[in-house]
Amino acid sequence: MNICVLLKQVPDQGSVFTIDSDETWVQEDNLVFTTNESDNYALEEALLMKASKGGEVVVCTLGPDRASQTLKDALAKGADRALFLRDDAFDRLDSLGAARAFAAALRDDSFDLILCGLQADDTGEGQLGPMLAEQLSLPHVTLVVQTELLDGCIKIKQELEGGWFRHLEADLPALLTIQSGINKPRYASLKGIMAMKRKEIKQVSAADLSLTTGDLTPHQILKRLYVPAKTKETQFLEGSPDEVVAQLVEKLANEAKVL
Amino acid sequence: MIDGAAVHVPALFYIFAGLALFYFLYNFRRAFAARIGRPETRRIRPWEVITNALYYGVAQRKVTSRHFGYASLMHLLLAWGFMELLFATSVDFLVERGLFLELLPRKDTPWFAALNELGGLALLLGSLLALARRHTSARPAALPHNSFAGRGSLLGDSGILIVLILLVVGGFLAESARLSIEAPAAAWASFVAYAVSLTLSSQTWQSLQPWLWWSHAALALGLIALLPQTKLFHSIIGIVNVALTNRAEHGMLRPMNIAAHMENPDAAPDDLVLGVGQVEDFTTKQLLDAEACTECARCTSVCPAHAVGSPLSPMKIVLAMRHNLYAQTMGDRVAAPLIGELISTEELWACTTCRACMEECPVIIDHIPAIIDMRRFLVLSEGQPPRDAATSLEKTTQQGNPWGFPRDNRLKWALDAGLDVPVMADKREVDVLYWVGCAGAYDPRNQEVARAMVAIFQAANVDFAVLGTEERCTGDSARRMGEEYVYETLANQNIATLANYRFNRIVTTCPHCLQTLGRDYRQLGTTWQVTHHSDYIQELIDQGRLVLDGQLTGTVTYHDACYLGRHNGIYESPRNVVARTLGPEGKLVEMPLSRSQSFCCGAGGGNMWYEVSKGERINLNRFDQAVATGAQTVVTACSFCMIMMDDARKVRGEEERVQVKDIAELIADSLA
Ligand code: SF4
Ligand code: SF4
Ligand code: SF4
Repeated sequence: MNICVLLKQVPDQGSVFTIDSDETWVQEDNLVFTTNESDNYALEEALLMKASKGGEVVVCTLGPDRASQTLKDALAKGADRALFLRDDAFDRLDSLGAARAFAAALRDDSFDLILCGLQADDTGEGQLGPMLAEQLSLPHVTLVVQTELLDGCIKIKQELEGGWFRHLEADLPALLTIQSGINKPRYASLKGIMAMKRKEIKQVSAADLSLTTGDLTPHQILKRLYVPAKTKETQFLEGSPDEVVAQLVEKLANEAKVL
Repeated sequence: MIDGAAVHVPALFYIFAGLALFYFLYNFRRAFAARIGRPETRRIRPWEVITNALYYGVAQRKVTSRHFGYASLMHLLLAWGFMELLFATSVDFLVERGLFLELLPRKDTPWFAALNELGGLALLLGSLLALARRHTSARPAALPHNSFAGRGSLLGDSGILIVLILLVVGGFLAESARLSIEAPAAAWASFVAYAVSLTLSSQTWQSLQPWLWWSHAALALGLIALLPQTKLFHSIIGIVNVALTNRAEHGMLRPMNIAAHMENPDAAPDDLVLGVGQVEDFTTKQLLDAEACTECARCTSVCPAHAVGSPLSPMKIVLAMRHNLYAQTMGDRVAAPLIGELISTEELWACTTCRACMEECPVIIDHIPAIIDMRRFLVLSEGQPPRDAATSLEKTTQQGNPWGFPRDNRLKWALDAGLDVPVMADKREVDVLYWVGCAGAYDPRNQEVARAMVAIFQAANVDFAVLGTEERCTGDSARRMGEEYVYETLANQNIATLANYRFNRIVTTCPHCLQTLGRDYRQLGTTWQVTHHSDYIQELIDQGRLVLDGQLTGTVTYHDACYLGRHNGIYESPRNVVARTLGPEGKLVEMPLSRSQSFCCGAGGGNMWYEVSKGERINLNRFDQAVATGAQTVVTACSFCMIMMDDARKVRGEEERVQVKDIAELIADSLA
């Protein structure tokens, strides 16, 4: 059972965010970075599968130098080796570009399973997993809340809207995006941290993966990032109680759009 | 006290004595079982060995406790009676062999005879009191064992007491026989034996004498032979253990020097022993501690976690260590695994490191370091802290505080209130560096304490500053959760930050910061003077730098924080400070459990950040104790105590009637 887990380093949600002067990202100097929450659950799911079926867990990320910490944390928790997609050409990729880069990196390794978190806490798109699956021509299931490995296939419980679930079976190899809460992510022991220092982090560039500028050019461009301004407006409704109620219903339905 | 024989002792006796001694020595080898431990790093100073043995052994200073009046008296009688009779027997032995005759008293020297009678009476009375305590009290769990099986030791408590009683009675009878037969001039001095001797005729005594002598001798030799296998072994190993104690480091956690291991490229993680997973991972002194346990159960009967129904029993922990140690070294039993089987992880995590057990332990056992060493194994080696503890540790690593609040908001408590608090980065050199701590910086209730502290500094014109966003958690909780790596990392960061600045001392409002900055960090080479705000405010008052007009009314009670009191010995200054804030209508009352006997609030040892223990919450129990005094104001001097007491106040629905205040707030309110 060889499993690859995709990880992303994101700003810790407890950070104080300031928007950059060009209004397309946040200032990063004072941010504290951490591993994306649902990715931690994906990693734990992979480590649990490895514990029961054996095999290898490879972790992979794409990002600036600081993102290597996310790989180190995963290695300390028990992943076997790491792949680090690191190139200035990878800065500010959109999900499709990132999916192409990961596809190029993972295509030749024969993984039985690729796991990633449901979505990244910073951009919140949830696109990378399905796009990567398409690139690699793998079946994929999103929003996974339970897994059970069988011979050559995997049983999955998928979360749907409104408290509904769906039970699926997918042939391996496959790609799953994991929902937070599926398991209890482990704590990195000091023993693990020391062992991590001896594990391999293989760095690969765009050139190593024979990626062209065309492959990586974003198709989606972030125009402006801003904190929504909170406004407060008070309206007085006048008339008899019946008229006021009628006006209120009309406003709730058409202006506030809550009815 | 093999007294009474004619001038020469029968040869047969020497054969039995030799056999008894041989059997004693054979079983005495268990005393060396502790050698399988790791080398002890704490230093042993010869002078301290002597003073310890005299103070804690002969003078029994740790045996006497306000908490255990009856047991203290009982044990003083037993121990001093025992020591006196040992002395008497040794003197007789030497005299009979004609040694040191000019120095030693004779059997019938009146003062010596009377003293020996007193020794016998003390031992007899002590044994009877002990037997009564074991069979009449209604608190079996908190009391020593009362069966003949004991806690795995031969004869048990009652068996050994009955042997002692028979031994003393036999001694008196043998002496009576001798007095009646020899009729020495000063026979009256042996007042008990003399009175008994008058009840029978000299002829009767004569015929009884060999029986009395031999039965007494047999009992005495039997007791000596069996001693290492019984509870009485503590009389030897207990004194050895207290003698070898390094008092300055008692209760301190041993440093691990993780940074050195991390930098060593050859360190093989699998060969490293991180914490204690098996009994041989303890140090030799820790194992000697376990051997010395008297099974008195004092520790367990004062343990707050035990009191609220958690499975934790400090005595059980110590005995589990010993059980496993003897099983391995003496081969008497199969060694059950130490952690998981003999000691559950739930027990280990329930400890608040309040030190109540250590305060009461008569043989100075170091419970807390042993418990934390086992937590170190669970965390550093196994990666298994309780889930919520893991979250707080990860947050501490990321944001520098266990709540995970933004690092950049560390000065918000002052900025939002419009306070002009100087920061070290601007001032670089001050008299007092005010260490706010995570609770002061982020917890709303403790932020008020921090602001009160600023008001006090300003009122007294103190040249002070804070670190602001440069401050990090001191690592107290991390360290006591067994996460020495996170602790060391934080400590080294804080030490590096402080190295950039000059200050005369650090003042802190939190006893946990006091412990880490002032004592734990010293293991990493710091020398700063660190003062708790209770001591500091007292100083300011004494120097006349604070003008106070105390008007606090109603009944006030003060809760001793474990890390202020038991861990750092500060009991009086917080009380003096509170007294200065009282108006004519106010009075300070004490809870029954106060000062060194204080009952923990439940937050120490990292318990602030996780909940494992079944049973009632400790803080509710303590809050009820405070309210039972009739107090309307519960005073704390510790950030965690504040959170715990304030929380209990809300849970108990006492928000209207009771207020929880830090001493700094009371002073700030009293500034004239
Ligand atoms: S330190 Fe306190 S909580 Fe821990 S075992 Fe001792 S008495 Fe119990
Ligand atoms: S550890 Fe100390 S207090 Fe506890 S039972 Fe043993 S001797 Fe008594
Ligand atoms: S918070 Fe207070 S009472 Fe509780 S353990 Fe710490 S010092 Fe002791």
